[in-house]
Amino acid sequence: MTSRSFLLITAAALLPLPPAFANPAEAQQRLRSAVGEVLAIADGSSSSAAFASKVRPTLERHISFDTMTSRAVGVGWRQFTQEQRKRAVQLFTSVIIRTYTEKFTPGEHPQITYQNAVSPASGRVDVPTRMVYRGSKYNVTYRMENIGGWRIADVVIEGVSLVANYRAQLGPTFSKGGAAAVISSLEQSVSRRS
Amino acid sequence: MKPAAFLRLCLLPAAGMFFCQCAAPKSVATAGAVDELDDYADTEVADPLEPLNRATFKLNDGLYTAVLRPISKGYETVTPKLVRTGLDNFFENAKYPVRLVNSGLQGKFRRAGHETEKFAVNTITGFGGIIKQSDRLPHLANIPAEDTGQTFAKWGIGHGPYLVLPVLGPSSLREAAGYAGDYVLNPVNWGVFQSKDALQYIPQGVNTIRSLPAQLEIYDQARKDAIDPYISVRSTFIQNRDAAAKE
Repeated sequence: MTSRSFLLITAAALLPLPPAFANPAEAQQRLRSAVGEVLAIADGSSSSAAFASKVRPTLERHISFDTMTSRAVGVGWRQFTQEQRKRAVQLFTSVIIRTYTEKFTPGEHPQITYQNAVSPASGRVDVPTRMVYRGSKYNVTYRMENIGGWRIADVVIEGVSLVANYRAQLGPTFSKGGAAAVISSLEQSVSRRS
Repeated sequence: MKPAAFLRLCLLPAAGMFFCQCAAPKSVATAGAVDELDDYADTEVADPLEPLNRATFKLNDGLYTAVLRPISKGYETVTPKLVRTGLDNFFENAKYPVRLVNSGLQGKFRRAGHETEKFAVNTITGFGGIIKQSDRLPHLANIPAEDTGQTFAKWGIGHGPYLVLPVLGPSSLREAAGYAGDYVLNPVNWGVFQSKDALQYIPQGVNTIRSLPAQLEIYDQARKDAIDPYISVRSTFIQNRDAAAKE
């Protein structure tokens, strides 16, 4: 390798990478595969409690709980220490997994119709779906973001965003008592019904 | 290094940035954003009456637990699922004027046409709307339901202050006015305007009871696992109504 080409390669490697371009098809495929994995685990679970414990590693792989937690807290997240961030993510993950696994009845499969995915911003793809579960119809949109690969960053059911809902609650909690208050309220939520 | 190579190296990042800005959709981050894709609003609705609303919320919560939940459970216990589904279908079909008028007021004439077709199909071939035959027709299966609150939103009227109404629960000034409009347009209530006979209240009563299980389920989902149930219900209501207005 000549010194000139070596310099070129080195310089190119140091250049800032362009943001990941949204690929709706790839994001949708990733979501389908995640949903398939979760349903397979649901099929092999005898109760919603068993399902919750089995499915956690799979959900942690497909859902960016770090992103969800930081946005659920809002701008106050910048004032959290590393330890506080880690604890908040752990607790928020537990709350979300419990909320969603409780909705599942083992043996009952939702019928999911995937609609055209859209990319409202670079690195983000929204995948709208229509879900029929236990006789009821729901519009569910999965917000996928490229965070080291396509991962779920929010779930919007009938127009209600999970992250926005928690932000409405945790934002004022932070304003009143800072990071400690947010962690304390998440701890209370986790321990309330466990 | 030759000047040309130096120039190429200098231009690479600029070219990359130019390409990114042209090809990629723009990020939509808000002022208090945590990261560049964070577009969540910190405030969803004005709540100047929060202390009063919280008191009404608490009162309603007790009322739901003590009165409405037992009625709902009782209804689900004594009424077979098939009958409950038939009643739900019938009363939803009867609300056709609400959907028709509001589709028209929003200029959604194609949707108004579909609503009419759906009403005709369900009324004629579904025994007065008891069987939802329209679900078999793809173009009628998923028509978003229009109501007066959505019409006001479409006309550019904002929520106004958030309100918690006694018994009825979460609302806003706009949605409360919309609810009054829906009440007038719903044939189930028309008997009450014509006569004060107690019998005229039967359809209303049945409609209220049959809708309780679904209403309480939505309420419970918003309340369960909440850090602050009052805010969670408020956020759920406002987000849901805003999304419905955009459909």
